[in-house]
Amino acid sequence: MPQSKPEFVYVTYIRATIDKVWEALTKPDFTRQYWFGFEQRSGWTKGASWQIVGQDGKIWDSGEILEIDPPRRVVISWTHQMKDELRAEGASRATYELEPVGDTVKLTIVHVGGPKLIEAVSGGWPQVLASLKSLLETGRPLERTGELPK
Amino acid sequence: MSKPEFVYVIYIQSTPQKVWDALLDPEMTKEFWGRYRNRSDWHVGSDWRHENYDDAAEVAVAGKVIESAPPHHLVLTWSRPADTENPDKVSRVRFTIEEFMGSVKLTVTHSELDEEMLRGISAGWPPILSSLKSLLETGASLPMTRRNWKKAR
Repeated sequence: MPQSKPEFVYVTYIRATIDKVWEALTKPDFTRQYWFGFEQRSGWTKGASWQIVGQDGKIWDSGEILEIDPPRRVVISWTHQMKDELRAEGASRATYELEPVGDTVKLTIVHVGGPKLIEAVSGGWPQVLASLKSLLETGRPLERTGELPK
Repeated sequence: MSKPEFVYVIYIQSTPQKVWDALLDPEMTKEFWGRYRNRSDWHVGSDWRHENYDDAAEVAVAGKVIESAPPHHLVLTWSRPADTENPDKVSRVRFTIEEFMGSVKLTVTHSELDEEMLRGISAGWPPILSSLKSLLETGASLPMTRRNWKKAR
Protein backbone atom coordinates (compact mmCIF):
# COMPACT_ATOMS: atom_id res chain seq x y z
CA MET A 1 0.00 0.00 0.00
CA PRO A 2 1.56 3.36 -0.98
CA GLN A 3 2.39 5.54 1.98
CA SER A 4 0.70 8.91 1.91
CA LYS A 5 2.79 11.97 2.78
CA PRO A 6 2.88 13.21 6.37
CA GLU A 7 0.24 15.81 7.06
CA PHE A 8 -0.45 18.34 9.83
CA VAL A 9 -3.97 19.71 10.23
CA TYR A 10 -4.91 22.44 12.71
CA VAL A 11 -8.27 24.12 13.26
CA THR A 12 -8.77 27.24 15.37
CA TYR A 13 -11.70 29.60 15.83
CA ILE A 14 -10.99 33.35 16.01
CA ARG A 15 -13.49 36.01 17.01
CA ALA A 16 -12.87 38.48 14.17
CA THR A 17 -14.12 39.14 10.66
CA ILE A 18 -12.86 37.01 7.79
CA ASP A 19 -11.25 40.09 6.20
CA LYS A 20 -9.38 40.84 9.40
CA VAL A 21 -8.08 37.28 9.75
CA TRP A 22 -6.99 37.26 6.08
CA GLU A 23 -5.21 40.58 6.54
CA ALA A 24 -3.44 39.38 9.66
CA LEU A 25 -2.37 36.18 7.91
CA THR A 26 -0.91 37.90 4.85
CA LYS A 27 0.32 41.40 5.72
CA PRO A 28 3.89 41.83 7.05
CA ASP A 29 2.88 44.51 9.61
CA PHE A 30 0.77 41.85 11.27
CA THR A 31 2.81 38.70 10.82
CA ARG A 32 5.93 40.31 12.27
CA GLN A 33 4.07 40.74 15.56
CA TYR A 34 2.96 37.14 16.03
CA TRP A 35 5.11 35.04 13.68
CA PHE A 36 8.40 35.55 15.55
CA GLY A 37 9.30 38.61 13.48
CA PHE A 38 8.87 36.85 10.14
CA GLU A 39 6.95 38.13 7.13
CA GLN A 40 5.45 36.29 4.18
CA ARG A 41 6.59 38.24 1.13
CA SER A 42 4.33 37.71 -1.87
CA GLY A 43 2.12 39.45 -4.41
CA TRP A 44 -0.61 37.03 -3.34
CA THR A 45 -1.81 36.16 -6.85
CA LYS A 46 -1.80 32.77 -8.54
CA GLY A 47 1.74 31.97 -9.73
CA ALA A 48 3.32 34.75 -7.67
CA SER A 49 6.48 33.96 -5.74
CA TRP A 50 6.19 33.56 -1.97
CA GLN A 51 8.88 33.70 0.70
CA ILE A 52 9.15 33.67 4.48
CA VAL A 53 11.76 36.33 5.32
CA GLY A 54 13.35 36.89 8.72
CA GLN A 55 14.02 40.22 10.43
CA ASP A 56 17.62 39.99 9.20
CA GLY A 57 16.47 39.67 5.57
CA LYS A 58 17.37 35.96 5.32
CA ILE A 59 14.98 33.76 3.35
CA TRP A 60 13.82 30.81 5.46
CA ASP A 61 11.26 29.29 3.09
CA SER A 62 10.32 29.98 -0.52
CA GLY A 63 7.89 28.85 -3.19
CA GLU A 64 4.84 30.14 -4.98
CA ILE A 65 1.11 30.70 -4.70
CA LEU A 66 -0.61 27.69 -6.32
CA GLU A 67 -4.23 28.76 -5.79
CA ILE A 68 -5.79 31.79 -4.17
CA ASP A 69 -9.35 32.94 -3.44
CA PRO A 70 -9.18 35.88 -0.99
CA PRO A 71 -10.30 36.01 1.77
CA ARG A 72 -11.24 32.31 1.86
CA ARG A 73 -8.35 30.18 0.71
CA VAL A 74 -4.76 30.09 -0.41
CA VAL A 75 -2.55 27.13 -1.36
CA ILE A 76 1.21 27.62 -1.17
CA SER A 77 4.11 25.56 -2.50
CA TRP A 78 6.52 25.81 0.45
CA THR A 79 10.19 24.71 0.40
CA HIS A 80 12.39 25.26 3.43
CA GLN A 81 15.74 26.91 2.61
CA MET A 82 17.78 27.20 5.80
CA LYS A 83 18.42 23.64 7.05
CA ASP A 84 19.87 21.15 4.55
CA GLU A 85 17.89 18.15 5.79
CA LEU A 86 14.60 20.04 5.45
CA ARG A 87 15.47 21.55 2.07
CA ALA A 88 16.32 18.07 0.80
CA GLU A 89 12.72 16.95 1.35
CA GLY A 90 11.59 19.31 -1.43
CA ALA A 91 8.35 21.24 -1.75
CA SER A 92 5.57 20.95 0.79
CA ARG A 93 2.03 22.21 0.29
CA ALA A 94 0.30 24.50 2.78
CA THR A 95 -3.39 25.41 2.58
CA TYR A 96 -4.96 28.22 4.63
CA GLU A 97 -8.76 28.02 4.66
CA LEU A 98 -11.03 30.63 6.28
CA GLU A 99 -14.75 30.08 6.89
CA PRO A 100 -17.15 32.36 8.78
CA VAL A 101 -18.94 30.48 11.61
CA GLY A 102 -21.29 32.75 13.56
CA ASP A 103 -19.21 35.73 14.65
CA THR A 104 -15.99 33.74 14.44
CA VAL A 105 -13.72 32.58 11.65
CA LYS A 106 -12.86 28.90 11.47
CA LEU A 107 -9.24 28.88 10.28
CA THR A 108 -7.93 25.54 9.02
CA ILE A 109 -4.28 24.94 8.15
CA VAL A 110 -3.43 21.77 6.19
CA HIS A 111 0.29 21.25 5.65
CA VAL A 112 1.50 18.21 3.64
CA GLY A 113 5.18 17.42 3.13
CA GLY A 114 8.24 15.42 4.13
CA PRO A 115 8.45 13.97 7.65
CA LYS A 116 11.12 16.34 9.03
CA LEU A 117 9.37 19.46 7.75
CA ILE A 118 5.99 18.32 9.04
CA GLU A 119 7.51 17.55 12.44
CA ALA A 120 8.95 21.07 12.54
CA VAL A 121 5.77 22.88 11.48
CA SER A 122 3.67 20.74 13.84
CA GLY A 123 5.46 22.53 16.64
CA GLY A 124 5.40 25.95 15.01
CA TRP A 125 1.85 26.28 13.71
CA PRO A 126 0.04 26.03 17.09
CA GLN A 127 2.30 28.76 18.51
CA VAL A 128 1.92 31.08 15.52
CA LEU A 129 -1.86 30.61 15.28
CA ALA A 130 -2.38 31.01 19.04
CA SER A 131 -0.45 34.26 18.90
CA LEU A 132 -2.45 35.45 15.86
CA LYS A 133 -5.69 34.70 17.74
CA SER A 134 -4.47 36.62 20.82
CA LEU A 135 -3.45 39.59 18.64
CA LEU A 136 -6.84 39.81 16.94
CA GLU A 137 -8.90 39.21 20.09
CA THR A 138 -6.89 41.12 22.71
CA GLY A 139 -4.78 43.56 20.68
CA ARG A 140 -1.58 41.84 21.85
CA PRO A 141 0.21 38.76 20.55
CA LEU A 142 1.35 36.03 22.95
CA GLU A 143 4.42 36.94 24.98
CA ARG A 144 7.77 36.34 23.27
CA THR A 145 6.33 35.68 19.81
CA GLY A 146 7.51 38.96 18.28
CA GLU A 147 10.98 37.63 17.57
CA LEU A 148 12.85 34.35 17.36
CA PRO A 149 14.00 33.01 20.74
CA LYS A 150 17.71 33.66 21.26
CA MET B 1 -2.53 -1.76 14.50
CA SER B 2 -2.74 0.75 17.30
CA LYS B 3 -5.83 2.87 17.71
CA PRO B 4 -5.81 6.44 16.40
CA GLU B 5 -5.00 9.36 18.66
CA PHE B 6 -5.95 13.06 18.45
CA VAL B 7 -3.49 15.62 19.80
CA TYR B 8 -4.30 19.34 20.07
CA VAL B 9 -1.88 21.95 21.38
CA ILE B 10 -3.05 25.47 22.26
CA TYR B 11 -1.15 28.32 23.87
CA ILE B 12 -3.05 30.58 26.27
CA GLN B 13 -1.89 33.85 27.87
CA SER B 14 -2.79 32.76 31.39
CA THR B 15 -1.42 30.68 34.26
CA PRO B 16 -1.50 26.87 34.70
CA GLN B 17 -3.77 27.25 37.75
CA LYS B 18 -6.30 29.36 35.84
CA VAL B 19 -6.38 26.88 32.96
CA TRP B 20 -6.82 23.97 35.40
CA ASP B 21 -9.62 25.81 37.22
CA ALA B 22 -11.39 26.66 33.96
CA LEU B 23 -11.52 22.99 32.98
CA LEU B 24 -13.10 21.98 36.29
CA ASP B 25 -15.23 24.99 37.34
CA PRO B 26 -18.87 24.55 36.24
CA GLU B 27 -19.39 28.32 36.01
CA MET B 28 -16.58 28.47 33.46
CA THR B 29 -17.10 25.23 31.53
CA LYS B 30 -20.72 26.16 30.81
CA GLU B 31 -19.35 29.17 28.92
CA PHE B 32 -17.05 27.26 26.56
CA TRP B 33 -18.20 23.65 26.69
CA GLY B 34 -21.73 23.94 25.30
CA ARG B 35 -23.39 24.65 28.65
CA TYR B 36 -22.06 21.40 30.18
CA ARG B 37 -20.20 20.94 33.46
CA ASN B 38 -17.64 18.37 34.63
CA ARG B 39 -18.65 16.81 37.93
CA SER B 40 -16.31 14.78 40.15
CA ASP B 41 -14.35 15.01 43.38
CA TRP B 42 -11.29 14.64 41.09
CA HIS B 43 -9.58 12.01 43.24
CA VAL B 44 -7.84 9.16 41.42
CA GLY B 45 -10.31 6.29 41.00
CA SER B 46 -13.39 8.51 41.33
CA ASP B 47 -16.12 8.71 38.73
CA TRP B 48 -16.52 11.84 36.65
CA ARG B 49 -19.45 12.95 34.54
CA HIS B 50 -19.88 15.54 31.80
CA GLU B 51 -23.42 16.65 32.44
CA ASN B 52 -25.86 19.32 31.30
CA TYR B 53 -25.37 22.38 33.53
CA ASP B 54 -29.14 22.91 33.68
CA ASP B 55 -30.12 19.24 34.08
CA ALA B 56 -27.79 16.93 36.03
CA ALA B 57 -29.70 13.88 34.79
CA GLU B 58 -28.56 14.54 31.23
CA VAL B 59 -25.06 13.03 31.08
CA ALA B 60 -23.19 13.14 27.77
CA VAL B 61 -19.84 11.58 28.79
CA ALA B 62 -18.74 9.48 31.78
CA GLY B 63 -15.60 7.78 33.06
CA LYS B 64 -13.04 7.62 35.83
CA VAL B 65 -10.20 9.82 37.01
CA ILE B 66 -6.94 8.00 36.22
CA GLU B 67 -4.38 10.70 37.15
CA SER B 68 -4.82 14.02 38.90
CA ALA B 69 -1.83 16.26 39.61
CA PRO B 70 -3.07 19.86 39.78
CA PRO B 71 -2.44 22.05 37.95
CA HIS B 72 -0.39 20.11 35.38
CA HIS B 73 -1.85 16.68 34.60
CA LEU B 74 -5.34 15.27 34.46
CA VAL B 75 -6.17 11.93 32.82
CA LEU B 76 -9.72 10.66 32.43
CA THR B 77 -11.39 7.70 30.76
CA TRP B 78 -14.13 8.82 28.39
CA SER B 79 -17.21 7.15 26.93
CA ARG B 80 -20.95 7.49 26.50
CA PRO B 81 -22.59 6.65 29.85
CA ALA B 82 -24.02 3.40 28.40
CA ASP B 83 -20.55 2.28 27.23
CA THR B 84 -18.42 2.64 30.39
CA GLU B 85 -18.09 -1.15 30.71
CA ASN B 86 -17.25 -1.71 27.02
CA PRO B 87 -13.48 -1.38 26.53
CA ASP B 88 -13.88 -0.97 22.75
CA LYS B 89 -15.88 2.19 23.35
CA VAL B 90 -13.82 3.71 26.16
CA SER B 91 -11.16 6.25 25.20
CA ARG B 92 -8.71 8.25 27.28
CA VAL B 93 -8.11 12.00 27.56
CA ARG B 94 -4.93 13.52 28.96
CA PHE B 95 -4.73 17.26 29.75
CA THR B 96 -1.14 18.50 30.11
CA ILE B 97 -0.77 22.10 31.32
CA GLU B 98 2.74 23.58 31.19
CA GLU B 99 4.34 26.99 31.43
CA PHE B 100 5.99 27.84 28.14
CA MET B 101 7.74 31.06 27.11
CA GLY B 102 5.56 33.28 29.27
CA SER B 103 2.23 31.62 28.45
CA VAL B 104 0.54 28.27 29.07
CA LYS B 105 0.87 25.32 26.69
CA LEU B 106 -2.24 23.13 27.00
CA THR B 107 -1.98 19.75 25.26
CA VAL B 108 -5.09 17.58 24.94
CA THR B 109 -4.27 14.00 23.93
CA HIS B 110 -7.35 11.93 23.18
CA SER B 111 -6.32 8.32 22.63
CA GLU B 112 -7.74 4.82 22.20
CA LEU B 113 -10.35 5.99 19.75
CA ASP B 114 -12.09 4.14 16.96
CA GLU B 115 -12.57 5.89 13.61
CA GLU B 116 -16.11 7.08 14.40
CA MET B 117 -15.10 8.50 17.79
CA LEU B 118 -12.04 10.14 16.20
CA ARG B 119 -14.25 11.98 13.71
CA GLY B 120 -16.55 13.28 16.42
CA ILE B 121 -13.90 14.49 18.82
CA SER B 122 -11.72 15.97 16.06
CA ALA B 123 -14.58 18.34 15.29
CA GLY B 124 -15.36 19.00 18.95
CA TRP B 125 -12.07 19.83 20.64
CA PRO B 126 -10.94 22.80 18.46
CA PRO B 127 -13.99 25.04 19.08
CA ILE B 128 -14.11 24.13 22.79
CA LEU B 129 -10.43 24.84 23.37
CA SER B 130 -10.47 27.96 21.16
CA SER B 131 -13.37 29.19 23.27
CA LEU B 132 -11.53 28.41 26.54
CA LYS B 133 -8.62 30.53 25.27
CA SER B 134 -10.96 33.42 24.40
CA LEU B 135 -12.62 33.20 27.83
CA LEU B 136 -9.33 33.34 29.73
CA GLU B 137 -7.78 36.05 27.54
CA THR B 138 -10.76 38.34 26.87
CA GLY B 139 -13.27 37.50 29.62
CA ALA B 140 -15.76 36.22 27.03
CA SER B 141 -16.04 32.80 25.41
CA LEU B 142 -17.06 32.24 21.78
CA PRO B 143 -20.86 32.66 21.69
CA MET B 144 -21.53 29.51 19.65
CA THR B 145 -19.99 27.39 22.44
CA ARG B 146 -22.25 28.77 25.19
CA ARG B 147 -25.34 26.94 23.95
CA ASN B 148 -26.24 23.34 24.62
CA TRP B 149 -25.52 21.61 21.28
CA LYS B 150 -28.61 19.46 21.51
CA LYS B 151 -30.99 22.33 22.22
CA ALA B 152 -29.48 24.24 19.30
CA ARG B 153 -30.95 21.75 16.81
